[in-house]
Amino acid sequence: MQTLSLYLYLVRLQLRTRLQYRANLLIGWVAQAFGYASVYGTIWIIASRFERLGGWVWPEIALMLGFHVLGYALGALFTFVQLRGMEELVRLGTYDTLMVRPVSPWAFLAFSGINIEYGGHIALGVGMIAWALPQLGIDWSVLTVAQLVASLISAALLTGATLTIIAAMALVLTRSRYLFGIYFDFWELSRYPLTIFALPLQLTLLSIVPLGYMAYVPVAALLGKPVPLIGAAAPFAAILAGPVMVVVAMLVWQACQRRYQGAGG
Amino acid sequence: MPPIIETEGATKWFAQKVPQSGFTGRLRNFLKPVTRDVKAVDGISFAIEAGEAVGYLGPNGAGKSTMIKMLTGVLVPTAGSVRVLGRVPHEERIVNARDIGVVFGQRSQLWWDLPLFESFELHRRIYRIEKGRFDRARAELVDMLQIAPFLERPVRQLSLGQRMRGEIAMTLLHDPKILFLDEPTIGLDVVAKDVVRKLISRVNRERGTTIMLTTHDLRDIEEICPRLIMVDDGKLLFDGPLTNLNASFGARRKLTLEFASEPATVMLAGAEPAGGEGVIRTFLMSDDRRSLVDIIAALKSDAELVDVHLHEPDIEEVIRTYYQSRQRQAAPSKRTG
Ligand SMILES: Nc1ncnc2c1ncn2[C@@H]1O[C@H](COP(=O)(O)OP(=O)(O)O)[C@@H](O)[C@H]1O
Ligand SMILES: [Mg+2]
Repeated sequence: MQTLSLYLYLVRLQLRTRLQYRANLLIGWVAQAFGYASVYGTIWIIASRFERLGGWVWPEIALMLGFHVLGYALGALFTFVQLRGMEELVRLGTYDTLMVRPVSPWAFLAFSGINIEYGGHIALGVGMIAWALPQLGIDWSVLTVAQLVASLISAALLTGATLTIIAAMALVLTRSRYLFGIYFDFWELSRYPLTIFALPLQLTLLSIVPLGYMAYVPVAALLGKPVPLIGAAAPFAAILAGPVMVVVAMLVWQACQRRYQGAGG
Repeated sequence: MPPIIETEGATKWFAQKVPQSGFTGRLRNFLKPVTRDVKAVDGISFAIEAGEAVGYLGPNGAGKSTMIKMLTGVLVPTAGSVRVLGRVPHEERIVNARDIGVVFGQRSQLWWDLPLFESFELHRRIYRIEKGRFDRARAELVDMLQIAPFLERPVRQLSLGQRMRGEIAMTLLHDPKILFLDEPTIGLDVVAKDVVRKLISRVNRERGTTIMLTTHDLRDIEEICPRLIMVDDGKLLFDGPLTNLNASFGARRKLTLEFASEPATVMLAGAEPAGGEGVIRTFLMSDDRRSLVDIIAALKSDAELVDVHLHEPDIEEVIRTYYQSRQRQAAPSKRTG
């Protein structure tokens, strides 16, 4: 309980700091929305030109893109900007100052660095989902709504967990920035229907780099589209991928923390 | 009562990367780097009782920060043992953290963009300090560390000295039993150094907080710590009371006097002539505690004094004389043995 109140307080402090620079925040939101819009525009042009992309029509793809950006933003809100700088936290000894306090360094970083710059992503994601859903004739029930929400949470957890695993590497290797670059290469691939890729890449995105569960698997499950390799297990896999990754991330973080050596004199 | 801090053969090795050049070398750096073990702390044992103020002195790279990090649960010792308040710090990091305070001279734990008092409020929540107790501690520490004038100012606007005082005050809010300070005076100007030293010493005397501070500045220790632990190259060189530097190490302050004309006689009570020519004369001071004014007052010379320089022995000199004196002691026994 006290722990929760500490985290909420950290979020409040961070918001207050960020709101000192309101204009910057607004410009950031708009700039990011434009950035995404141009990428999505390209995908829309391709999809409407060929009518289908990997067997998906534009509204289906739009739903997937909305889901992708929303799930990502909800997870990255607590992790990306905070953990991207993990290398520096280790090198400058800031991480040591977290370890001498009675807190979990990960939780402290996550909550004290909450990044409201993702407001633009979230608005974009919600907007695209709201635009696409009515056009897809989904047979809504309590179960499908629950499935949508649960797989969205799973996508957010998957994002947070993956970024955490990458950041944990900095505790041992004192370097992790290049790994974030690799993550984003796969992340960009994960906003297309998996069916457009060759089998080895499909396999990769569903196993060792499980970004396929970010948007493709959950949305395909929701729309009842066939999913390669995992087939009927898709709805469950979409919901479980995030929590499973969280467990893996916790284990990795603990192992790296035990091997932490600091940055060198 | 058992010691509040105890180490037995505490050892920490680091695997330091040795970068290789050339194409295959660079590939190797990436895949399987060549490493070399550095013994940052090499079998150090000591015990500190509650209420002590101990200075942990050594040149850069001696392993001071590494020792502090083992005592605060940041690093796991490679060998030997470390106990703080009866606990193994890295195994009970969070419980240990509630009972200690740690200040790093080179990194701030304050919230940069917010006023100082906001960091205190955050500290209250991190350490779960009950409100009444917090308010009392805060009032007392604001007074003791004289930080009232800048409590409302954003931390980024504070001078290094002010920030350090704020940092120390914050670290004491939860009334830690031990205060660890890693180079608390580094980078401060002379005046700020003096203020910070006096305040740390007061914390030890008035609050009874056990203090362990690392430094490479002898003055820090002279003003704060009755006990000195000296380390070099990861090894313990000396552990004992700091009565005066001269008696312990034979490193002495050097006084340089400059006269208006070449003096025929110069007599300085309590100082040993150490050469000089022309208008310059140097002396080695035997008693470190005497003030410069007293010494100069006792000067007897036929020429007029124009300038005075006092040269404090620095840590490198102290360690050099320490090794030399050990060699002198060791040499005769070698001949006979
Ligand atoms: N994480 C690390 N990796 C490799 N070497 C390290 C690391 N931390 C410290 N060292 C080395 O250990 C020695 C002692 O460092 P340190 O404890 O920081 O010394 P001090 O604080 O006395 O200046 C130095 O040689 C330093 O380079
Ligand atoms: Mg150091």
